[in-house]
Amino acid sequence: MTMAAGIEAMNVYGGMAYLDVRELCDHRGLDLPRFENLLIQEKSVALPYEDPVTFAVNAARPIVEGLSAEERSQIEMVITCTESGIDFGKSISTYLLKYLDLPSNCRLFELKQACYSGTAGLQMALNFVMSGTSPGAKALVVATDISRFALADSKAVQEWAYSEPSSGAGAVAMLVSDTPHVFQIDQGAYGNHAFEVMDTCRPGPDTEAGDADLSLMAYLDCCSGAFGDYARRVEGADFQTTFDQLCFHTPFGGMVKGAHRQLMRKLYKAKPDAISADFEKRLTPSLAYGKRVGNTAGASVFVALAGTIDAIKPDAPIRLGLFSYGSGCCSEFFSGVVGAEGTRRLGAMEISRKLDERYQLSIEEYEKLLTGSSTVRFGTKDCELDRDIIPGAWSSSGKGDTLVLDRIDGYHRNYIWI
Amino acid sequence: MQDANKITQIIIAEIRETVPELADQEISASDAMAELGVDSIERSEVIIATMEKLGLKIPMVQLHGPRNIGELAALLATKTAG
Repeated sequence: MTMAAGIEAMNVYGGMAYLDVRELCDHRGLDLPRFENLLIQEKSVALPYEDPVTFAVNAARPIVEGLSAEERSQIEMVITCTESGIDFGKSISTYLLKYLDLPSNCRLFELKQACYSGTAGLQMALNFVMSGTSPGAKALVVATDISRFALADSKAVQEWAYSEPSSGAGAVAMLVSDTPHVFQIDQGAYGNHAFEVMDTCRPGPDTEAGDADLSLMAYLDCCSGAFGDYARRVEGADFQTTFDQLCFHTPFGGMVKGAHRQLMRKLYKAKPDAISADFEKRLTPSLAYGKRVGNTAGASVFVALAGTIDAIKPDAPIRLGLFSYGSGCCSEFFSGVVGAEGTRRLGAMEISRKLDERYQLSIEEYEKLLTGSSTVRFGTKDCELDRDIIPGAWSSSGKGDTLVLDRIDGYHRNYIWI
Repeated sequence: MQDANKITQIIIAEIRETVPELADQEISASDAMAELGVDSIERSEVIIATMEKLGLKIPMVQLHGPRNIGELAALLATKTAG
């Protein structure tokens, strides 16, 4: 098995609007004397006419647009990865097929395992490519998640308090193929750690429940467990020296810092100064986009990957170690290589510039979105979206390159390009 | 099985080590770390450091549930029983 495989192209989409997280914490009266420890500054907030479909399509569009007709016809599988599904039966990938104008001979499905979903999707796509059952075939994997929970009443907002500052929205699209221009996977180099635990969940439409302490404990157990399994499979693997950079699932940067510190203590009995220096060098670049969009769940570890590539801009091949965790719980540590070609191709997506273009919500506007009746709830049968809900947020540039939800007729979502 | 009172003292020492702001604060077994202003990441670090001191190697999730320092010490004590 010598065929190269990995990510041919990738893009991050952080939506149309964001909120300053410190403003939110001040407004909620959260006593956070060490706010900086969170390592988060902004979070993307999905507007009523944005949903997991629009995030996914807007992330994937620049990738698909960049393909020749022949390359586009080689996309044979579309996997959407999400914990923000909009229907129990119909997958978001069906909408992607339509709005990205993909071939009809396509395998479409959606998968779920909390924030681990994106990695599950990537590994399924990689295994499809490496199996060689359809030589030259490509798979489009899109992790897309929004957080739109604290609806209804003040009680719901209170219950959400533990994760409201970090809950974001975003999507990462990845074209997986045997021409891995951006990220070449280290084949066979992975490790898993899973067990049953009720740390955080989405038990009903538009709700989330969780226990911050238990979730952190499960994340820490998984981080050392998954790396342990990786080291068992990969001869000579060393957490400190094998990887030039690291990208972890990022609920918020502080959690990544905690996990890194634990591993460095456990594996090397490292001292605080050495741990801090290593974090600064090998993990801070991965927070570049996460600290601007918040926790993007299934997309989060790939938001970290994109952040690292854009921040480091490697001009020669470097090895990256990735840690993905999804509540419930399942996790994976895996690795791959990025070089100058990946730097160039990802840079062309202009992720940072597009994040800069988002509309900054005031607290009043954010609260209106949270408690307003404008929100499209799970299971909505008919509805017409109000474009003027947040004056200023609606893009009037008229480039026709951003998909938004226009209306729902008999559960069928209809989108338009603006 | 190690003595829970001794473990309580280890936990309190680790709290002061992890959160320097609490160095001079009176801390007792009935205090909850969260109420003392120890954030979730710091709480996990206190627990990890205490486990190291006790030479305890068990999954972190097994230490979820205690509502204060004394309860955490009691739980840790049962875990050291092997």
